Amino acid sequence: MILANVLELWSSVWPAGVTMLGLGSGFALVLLIASEKLKVTVDPKIEQIHEALPNLDCGACGFAGCGQYAKAVLGDPELLGKCAPGGPETSSKIADVLNLQVSDSGPQQRPIVRCRACTADKTLYAQYQGIQSCIAANALANVQACGFGCLSFGDCTRACKFDALHIVDGMTIVDYEKCTGCTACSKACPRNLIEMVPFGYENMMIVACNSKETGKSTRSICKVGCIGCGICVKQTDVFSVEDNLARIDFTRYEPNEQAETAMNKCPTKVIIYRGKTAPEPPQPGKKPVAATKA
Amino acid sequence: MKVNVKGRFSFPGGIHPPEKKDLSREVEIQPGPAVKEVAVMLSQHIGAVCQPLNRKGDAVQAGQKIGDCDAFVSAPVHSPITGKVKEIALRSHAVLGRSSAIVIEAFSYSPTRRSYFKLKDDFDEKNYSAGQICEAVRQAGIVGMGGAGFPTRVKIEPNPQMPKETLIINGCECEPYITCDYRIMLEWTNQIIAGIKLARKASGCSQVFIAIEGNKPKAIEVMNRALESFANSDSIKVIPVKTKYPQGGERQLIKAILKKDVPTGGIPPMIGVVVLNVATAAAIAEAVISDLPLTHRVVTVTGEAVAKPGNYYVPIGTSVEDLIEFCGGVTKKSAKVLLGGPMMGIAIADLKTPITKATNAITVLTKEQIGRAKFARRQTACICCGRCLEVCPENLNPTKIAHAVKYNFLDVAESYYISACMECGCCSYVCPANIELTGYIKTGKIFLARQKKKIPG
Ligand code: SF4
Ligand code: SF4
Ligand code: SF4
Ligand code: SF4
Repeated sequence: MILANVLELWSSVWPAGVTMLGLGSGFALVLLIASEKLKVTVDPKIEQIHEALPNLDCGACGFAGCGQYAKAVLGDPELLGKCAPGGPETSSKIADVLNLQVSDSGPQQRPIVRCRACTADKTLYAQYQGIQSCIAANALANVQACGFGCLSFGDCTRACKFDALHIVDGMTIVDYEKCTGCTACSKACPRNLIEMVPFGYENMMIVACNSKETGKSTRSICKVGCIGCGICVKQTDVFSVEDNLARIDFTRYEPNEQAETAMNKCPTKVIIYRGKTAPEPPQPGKKPVAATKA
Repeated sequence: MKVNVKGRFSFPGGIHPPEKKDLSREVEIQPGPAVKEVAVMLSQHIGAVCQPLNRKGDAVQAGQKIGDCDAFVSAPVHSPITGKVKEIALRSHAVLGRSSAIVIEAFSYSPTRRSYFKLKDDFDEKNYSAGQICEAVRQAGIVGMGGAGFPTRVKIEPNPQMPKETLIINGCECEPYITCDYRIMLEWTNQIIAGIKLARKASGCSQVFIAIEGNKPKAIEVMNRALESFANSDSIKVIPVKTKYPQGGERQLIKAILKKDVPTGGIPPMIGVVVLNVATAAAIAEAVISDLPLTHRVVTVTGEAVAKPGNYYVPIGTSVEDLIEFCGGVTKKSAKVLLGGPMMGIAIADLKTPITKATNAITVLTKEQIGRAKFARRQTACICCGRCLEVCPENLNPTKIAHAVKYNFLDVAESYYISACMECGCCSYVCPANIELTGYIKTGKIFLARQKKKIPG
């Protein structure tokens, strides 16, 4: 009885099955021919380069993603070394694929934030109620007395894909363990506070200020701003003062005693260390112990 | 002639904010404060920044050139007072942030009601050649005084590629609160007409329209009467335009009077039109006839928080603080200071900001007004009412652009013509959801500008 039912069912189903089978193989044939006829030959090198890349799609190279960059490098070997998160290791892998020599590009680039004023150090002229982003605040109002310092709305932190930037008490702090040097933050900051510098040592000495105001006006609005007094320049010539602002020539910087003295003598304590194991920056006003005794 | 003040001429879109002009419209132009120090910005205008010509400690005469630049799109700056250069330091600029200025300490400065210019009875623009006028305008450092600050010489100089036919003199003053152009039209009428004739001569335009909003019947009448008394003014016509914000926008004005559209991303000379502000026309007359550089301007100080609202003739470089102090000081009620009017003005935080050639007003609003302002209230999601589309005088889709900027889809914002926005603020004004549409659009424009400059490759 059951058998008869199954047979009956089968007899009504098999034409459909055969049709589907026929259709399926028909399409398969079409696809087979198409894939042969319309074949796009992908350079296997692109695949190889793509594999060598970190596949973060962060855009630091200036292309939409790692795939785009892989294609571009193949066409223009000049673009080698643009992948900041990958660093020299990736570059040498790509160079192997392309049969090129990589020149040593020196230490890796890392960002420094040239403002060390925390919320209490800053002077505010007014209350800002507009769109909560640095680019808007910078354009629509000169809320903060200092027209050069960090606005603390965190455009840079949002730009960082690696969670390496944080706003702590009004200061932008880089987590150098996580940072890959992709430069996204330095492009995002409307006040150009974030500078990419060759990080030759674990900790770098930086002048954490961007104020081009005269010393007097900087002093009147910020406790920790550079006043361009030039005391640091007298210690060592890696420092220079231009537009009332001290700068360090990072290509020549090395940790030595003169630099250390310059840092200690800085009256507003704007010369600080930043890096993986940097000590807590000193506060202005309190003179270092050695200096008071002398 | 019977004056028709109805004003039929109009443009699509626009809004009718409360005018609030009665605070200062009947107050005659008065001398400003006796300033002790002025800070003349080196960048007063659109175009290249001037280089200072003096050093610290130099003595300068009133009217002496203190900054200049070789670029074509630029204008020199002059010292408004006799004094000594105290320093070249940074001062707040409403648009550029901190920017260099020449700070001059006055030996003595006695405020006046207006410049020493006097229009002679035998004035005839035929005595001046077009080249002469352009050069005088350039040397006097005249820039558009209505707000944007575009060097006037570049506007009026004949350009063989873009021949000019129509000169429109903008006396609309559509922005609420501001009355300086209105007062100038009433008090300096003949000077404006002399300036118009000179500008017409320089640019080679055949027809001239003086556009005045219908809410200023007195100005329309005074202008018409003055035109009758001038010889050779047949081609100059006063046009009462509809009272509506932003009627004073260049493109809106051209649309209203000539029914022509300026191409998106283009400028009025492309369709043969030059638009000059009435204050600019007055400055042209001073510069060409009496060789007086642009060193002073009329500024409206107004707002409910100002004790003595009025229109003041002040040296360029006077700080906002001095001027507000002069008008009765900052009262307890005041909460927000704007350079310009409430619609397009820019809020400033630093009261030491100096006045530039393009500053037409200082508006001080009270805490109450700010509290009632939209953005202090809760912002909700867009309810898709379409009001912003209705009022946008540039026929844009503000909500689409603003939200594209908010969520960082800049290419979408660009494809909806973000750069065509004139930042009039109409969309923000009407939005029932209290969205800062204009704010987002402005931000997006800066984003795009940065991106174009900075991205490698
Ligand atoms: S902090 Fe973030 S955004 Fe900046 S360089 Fe490092 S990884 Fe890139
Ligand atoms: S460093 Fe620049 S982008 Fe980052 S919070 Fe400060 S001002 Fe904003
Ligand atoms: S601010 Fe821009 S988008 Fe908004 S109404 Fe004005 S022109 Fe249109
Ligand atoms: S006016 Fe406001 S709520 Fe209405 S559509 Fe525009 S953005 Fe949306």
